[in-house]
Amino acid sequence: MHPDLDQQRSLARRLRELPDEAAQPYGWREFQRRSGARRRAGQGLAGGRALATASVLALGIIAVWTRLDGWSPQSARLTREALPPLAGRTAAMEHWLASLPSEPAVVHVGTRAAVTGLEDRIAQVDDLLSAERLDEAHPARLLALQQARTRLVGALVQVRYAETLADESR
Amino acid sequence: MKKFHLTPSWHMLIASSAAACVAVAAPGPPPAAVLPEVRADGDLDAQLDAARKRLEEAAHEVAQLSSQLSGSVIQQVMPFEPGHAIIGVQLEPATGTAGARVREVSPGGPAAEAGIHVGDVIVAVNGTELKGREPARQVVRIMRDVQPDATVHLRVLRDGKTRELSVTARPGPAVLASVHGLSDLGFGPFPEWHGALMLHGPLMDMELATLTPRLGGYFGSDQGVLVVRAPADGALKLEDGDVILAIDGRQPTSGSHATRILSSYQPGEKLTLRIIRQHKTLEVDATLPESMGRIRKDMMWREVAPRERTEPARRVLILGRDEA
Repeated sequence: MHPDLDQQRSLARRLRELPDEAAQPYGWREFQRRSGARRRAGQGLAGGRALATASVLALGIIAVWTRLDGWSPQSARLTREALPPLAGRTAAMEHWLASLPSEPAVVHVGTRAAVTGLEDRIAQVDDLLSAERLDEAHPARLLALQQARTRLVGALVQVRYAETLADESR
Repeated sequence: MKKFHLTPSWHMLIASSAAACVAVAAPGPPPAAVLPEVRADGDLDAQLDAARKRLEEAAHEVAQLSSQLSGSVIQQVMPFEPGHAIIGVQLEPATGTAGARVREVSPGGPAAEAGIHVGDVIVAVNGTELKGREPARQVVRIMRDVQPDATVHLRVLRDGKTRELSVTARPGPAVLASVHGLSDLGFGPFPEWHGALMLHGPLMDMELATLTPRLGGYFGSDQGVLVVRAPADGALKLEDGDVILAIDGRQPTSGSHATRILSSYQPGEKLTLRIIRQHKTLEVDATLPESMGRIRKDMMWREVAPRERTEPARRVLILGRDEA
């Protein structure tokens, strides 16, 4: 048998197997209903897209802001954790400083100027820390100030030690 | 940015710092050192003098660099604000009683000098009793209006007893605008900044002693500061054995206080010293040596107009371009 004839029969059979005519076209009301439903679905999708965009934008802004401000929930937690050890570190140094007389019997002005300069700077940082803490300042700011204080107290210990050594060797 | 090299003086300071740390960590008598027998001759004396000088110079450098580093942090928190009065305490709300609890006292600060302790509860400042919900904040607010060198009267509670203490507020060190910050304002380029206002040059070697009643009796004064060693090159026109009674009217109460007063002047500035020399009171007009500091002579605070209408006017420290 010729293959073309086979194909035609097969085509005719498949045509006969097609279902009857579809349901009657819907009326104007049904059209409106279906149209309204489609619009609402589209609006929902658009709203979802807008919400997603806004979320991404908001996250981006937060990311940039935290980057600029140097703050994140993790950094806040870290700064809160970092503050007590810093305070503890200076306590030993301050204990040693407190054991010294306020100044040597003979003041060497050059070294004393370094000591008084540091003492005044520490006092300034303490006053600032007080005000910042009461204003519930950013933990990162408090940590930066506390670190500055630790560094200054460390330097004061070094300078006072040098002063004591020089004084005793005179 | 200044490059940092470990000079011999730095090595020495690091060694001494390490020793200081050991001393802090383990207080107690040091082990008896076995020192080689040395002859006290001129060479060794000179070496010792030179070593001592290097140690002091290194200490000075440590102080300057540390101040400089902390200055940039303070600047971020308190941008462009000129130094106002400081007392050197950290406060927090007291629990169980109305007042501000002292959380920290700055070593060597005004409050420490006045005898304020950690744990004291401040209940009144300059006669104003601290009431309400935020007494610590109230103290901070009152302190903002206090002028440098003013006396602040504090009533504190310690161990259930009330004490009256007087704190002499000091001027806060200048907060320096960074080169970056000033560049933003259209200034610059700026020379390298060397740190807080500290003494250099001829005044470095001056030595002072606080007069004790016995010493005062000998020199004929019950107040002032004795000049043990006058500055080199006749700077300030002082001589060994002078007693400084006042510097431009400010009466130094100790060697440290005299140092603080002198540190507040800039190179080239004129001042009047009231001194006792050989039992006679004299007024001496002097000029701070130009070489005493690397601080700029033309350094000044200048008002900077706001860039935006909403911004307040700012004061910045301006440094000139000439050489120090």
